[in-house]
Amino acid sequence: MILNSLLVLMGLGFTAATILAVASKILHVKEDPRIAQVEDVLPGVNCGGCGYAGCNGAANAVVEGKSGANVCVIGGIETAQAVGAVMGLEVLDMELELAFRDCTGGQRAEELFNYEGAGNCRAQALLYGGAKTCPEGCLGLGTCEAVCPFDAIHMGPEGLPVVDPLACRACRKCVEACPRGVLSIVSMSAKLLHLEEVNDCLAPCQQKCPANINIPRYIEAAKNGDYAGAVNIIRERNPLLLVCGRVCPRPCELDCRRTHVDEAVGINMIKRFVADWEMNNNLRLHIPCAKETGRKIAVIGGGPAGLSCANFLRRLGHSPTIIEAMPELGGQLRYGIPEYRLPKKDLAWEIQGILDLGIDVRLNQKLGTNFTINDLEEEGFEAFFMGIGAWASGTMRIDGEKAQGVISGTEFLTGIGLGQPPNIGDNVIVVGGGNTAIDAARTSIRLGCDVTLLYRRTRAEMPANIEEIEGAADEGVKFIFLSAPTKVIMDDKGKATHLECISMELGEPDDSGRRRPVPIEGTEERYPADTIISAIGQKPQLSCFYTEGEEQCNIDFTRWRTIDAHPQTLQTSIPMVFAGGDAVSGPDSVISAVGAGRIAARSIHYLLTIGKIPLADNTLRRLIPYTLFKDVDGCKNKTRTPMPHNCSGDDRISTFKEIEGCLTEEELQHETSRCLRCGLICYDRDIPLENVFTNRVGEKVE
Amino acid sequence: MKEYFLLFISAIFVNNIVLAQYLGNCPFIGTSKKISVAIGMGSAVVFVATMSASITWAVQEYLLDPMGLQYLQTLTFILVIASLVQFVEMFLKKAVPPLYKSLGIFLPLITTNCAVMGIAIICQREEFSFIKTVAFSFACGMGFMLALIVLSAIRERIEVSRTPKSMKGTPIALIMAGLMSLAFFAFKGMI
Amino acid sequence: MSKLWKEFSKGLWKDLPPFKVVLGLCPVLAVTKTADNGFGMGLAVIFVLTMSNVLVSIFRKIIPPKVRIACFIVIAASLVVSVELLMQAFAYPLYQQLGIFVPLIVVNCIILGRAEAFASKNPILLSAVDGLGMGIGFTISLTLLGGIRELFGYGTLFGTRIMPEHYKPFSFMVEAPGAFVCLGLMLSAMNIFTSWQARRKGQAVLDNPGHECRSCGICSR
Repeated sequence: MILNSLLVLMGLGFTAATILAVASKILHVKEDPRIAQVEDVLPGVNCGGCGYAGCNGAANAVVEGKSGANVCVIGGIETAQAVGAVMGLEVLDMELELAFRDCTGGQRAEELFNYEGAGNCRAQALLYGGAKTCPEGCLGLGTCEAVCPFDAIHMGPEGLPVVDPLACRACRKCVEACPRGVLSIVSMSAKLLHLEEVNDCLAPCQQKCPANINIPRYIEAAKNGDYAGAVNIIRERNPLLLVCGRVCPRPCELDCRRTHVDEAVGINMIKRFVADWEMNNNLRLHIPCAKETGRKIAVIGGGPAGLSCANFLRRLGHSPTIIEAMPELGGQLRYGIPEYRLPKKDLAWEIQGILDLGIDVRLNQKLGTNFTINDLEEEGFEAFFMGIGAWASGTMRIDGEKAQGVISGTEFLTGIGLGQPPNIGDNVIVVGGGNTAIDAARTSIRLGCDVTLLYRRTRAEMPANIEEIEGAADEGVKFIFLSAPTKVIMDDKGKATHLECISMELGEPDDSGRRRPVPIEGTEERYPADTIISAIGQKPQLSCFYTEGEEQCNIDFTRWRTIDAHPQTLQTSIPMVFAGGDAVSGPDSVISAVGAGRIAARSIHYLLTIGKIPLADNTLRRLIPYTLFKDVDGCKNKTRTPMPHNCSGDDRISTFKEIEGCLTEEELQHETSRCLRCGLICYDRDIPLENVFTNRVGEKVE
Repeated sequence: MKEYFLLFISAIFVNNIVLAQYLGNCPFIGTSKKISVAIGMGSAVVFVATMSASITWAVQEYLLDPMGLQYLQTLTFILVIASLVQFVEMFLKKAVPPLYKSLGIFLPLITTNCAVMGIAIICQREEFSFIKTVAFSFACGMGFMLALIVLSAIRERIEVSRTPKSMKGTPIALIMAGLMSLAFFAFKGMI
Repeated sequence: MSKLWKEFSKGLWKDLPPFKVVLGLCPVLAVTKTADNGFGMGLAVIFVLTMSNVLVSIFRKIIPPKVRIACFIVIAASLVVSVELLMQAFAYPLYQQLGIFVPLIVVNCIILGRAEAFASKNPILLSAVDGLGMGIGFTISLTLLGGIRELFGYGTLFGTRIMPEHYKPFSFMVEAPGAFVCLGLMLSAMNIFTSWQARRKGQAVLDNPGHECRSCGICSR
């Protein structure tokens, strides 16, 4: 009996062991031993937070190189270091990722119907897509709070989830649970790289801003006294806040919802306040940068587009070098915009802050003259950004244009910027209606001249900012509308003495929608002029792209003689060359150039890191129709703070002192309180939501 | 034929291995958090339970019974099952890598799944013929898979519902299993 | 001494199976129709667990790591066979009551879990104490659960009538659904108690302490 059992057991055990031993030899599958090692150091909870099937799947992904050492979301830095040790990788600081809530509606959002079902957002979303009128907003039933395994999300007093940044481990559970896509996991880089999409919570001002600055959020931060927070929010989209706070034509204010109540919120004045607050206290707030990648990128042109592009590339971890043709950085900011609008010292302070991030600069280097793209490629630069601006002036195409005393607007302003004001005599005639013309006119006034501005259409058609035109009129610039130059009259030494002009009338509208001016025969008149400044249109100087002896150049141009670049990626016909700013769009605002700089930086970043530039179908391309209201009810009138002025009278017209001033803290409080904190369709009301009758429903935009 | 049909119904619904016979509860609670995982685990159990019941039937019939060593049942069965699982794991890894990818990670869990061993022992206690053993063990495995998939579907929904904090996770899963078990009680009248 | 006490007492409260460490659910659910059965099962588990811990600890240095799980299983299985034989000899009614669940002690995750997580790394005495503590904790839990189910399901406790005469037995409790629901409610009560205790001590409140089947460690191999 005992012998039997022993024999049977031993026999069975022996057979089993033999079969297994043989099988393990025959059926051996070569497997990377590191998979087991990596799996050993992972927590082994198989939570799936990393997106792979259990810890084994994660280990496989790490060994196959599909995932980095930081694959485990719950293990933290210790696990990452352990995995890194197995894989022989060095673990650098991981960029902090956090859940981020996009919607700002909450209890302000109107209800589409009265929902009384299960208290779960996903359940509610099954019913006509949810009970809120806004198609993208938070439903507020706290499903994210329920699924969060780290107790990091709580429904706040506004009916919106609030993420606790210390507890959040970016496990994506809430992102998966939310039926509205209100939550996302973002890092600092992801924020800088994000192109605004039609499903984002975008107030009209943010949609309209060419750089898509999150205006409602920074105004809210400023209102709460968190000026540093406001500065940081602006810097996510615009590194030139001191500059834009002064010279921005503020397209955002045109579509401000408050225009339907009283007047637009003074968005730019608020930006200027927080920017000035940083400068006047000499704070130089810390600007976070992603970890160094060591990729070299050449940014050609140190104007607003180039500065913005270099700034964002640096913050994404790359090493940009700005190459500038002029003796100092700033481009049109320094050589086009006069001192009284943008003091040079403020500009220098701002540029210094950007350069302090670790950006190299080469001055007095002109593309095509001192170097070529091929030279830079040989030096190790991997991508190129062309922010060369629009510095060539259009001609008046009239007799005597070559006469002494006829200069272009950019030439004139650049001379002033370089500190070499040209001798312009007493009588100055400026031809043109854009900002350059006004700048030239107002600068001439300050040089003590008698200035006349000639424009071929009427004041209503002038492309310059209204404030600028008013400012020029206040300072004594004489306007002659509906008049075009026909001939420059010279004396025998070839110096201009008079400008002959002809009166115009407005005819049929042309391509641009403006009525075409038509000359009236026999109305010629002569005006005395020592200097004639022609400021009629600027174009990029494209000659730098042609190498000597070759007819054709590799970069394509548009028929308006600007660089042809893809509108969403700003990639030119040479894949590694990107372009933005005035060089692509023709003369435009600073803020457009800043926006273009960021888009180009994004494209370059993706091209260098993942080899292609991802583009979402739902990228914001034009204003979202259902967010533009004709009336805004439930709001009380609050008068807009008038623009403060620093100087007036003689002081103003005889010196280059800055004219516009900064708000006081009380004025800032008033102005921020005027903001309606708009979302896509919700906004702050002064009366309770129940008392407002509304039938506004947004449409889902795919 | 009718006999086998009844055997199937009985094993899957009336005497469901998890919900009525209390077998295989650890993996039932442990691997029912996601439907995809539940399907993988369920199929692995069906596969291994059928194979192990057939082999242990042979061991019992041709080795233990003739030698009068029935008291070694437990020891031999677990030995056979453990080796079998290991062998199957190696075999799948080599021969059918896609199947290994979907089932492989669950196989080591099965050694300690009392459903597999329980099914083998029940077959012996009921003194089934070989064909019946295969049919019964397959049906029991299916019953396990059914219960597992249903519970995982319920748990996926429950995860996003408001549950009292103390009930989150295992407690509510157990209560759900209890309610499922109650529902399966209704099948009692079928046979 | 304090170390011994620490290892012993953790099975009684800190890692109390199956409440703090959800392991070995099948016998917990199946044999707790009455307090008697629960207690009997608990005793069998104490025996197997302590002995297997001791044996594993003795052989821990000569067992090759690659086949250690198989060895643990063989050790446990031999012990279970002896328990089976002992029970057949001295407690046959109980053996019949527990039925298939006696052989199934082999695959109870507690046995393998403790062998893998503790006994294979610790000296004999500590392992024995660990097994004993865990086993006693398991017995207490089984008896408690069995007692509750018996009390409501039959109106008795250890076979003696407790509930008043006119109490109608709530037979749901002794059926399978009752087992699941009862265990679920007890786990949740345990959670409430733990978080209350933690809050009183001013510690961070964990959502679900230990309620993952991560503690046996077998599946992560």
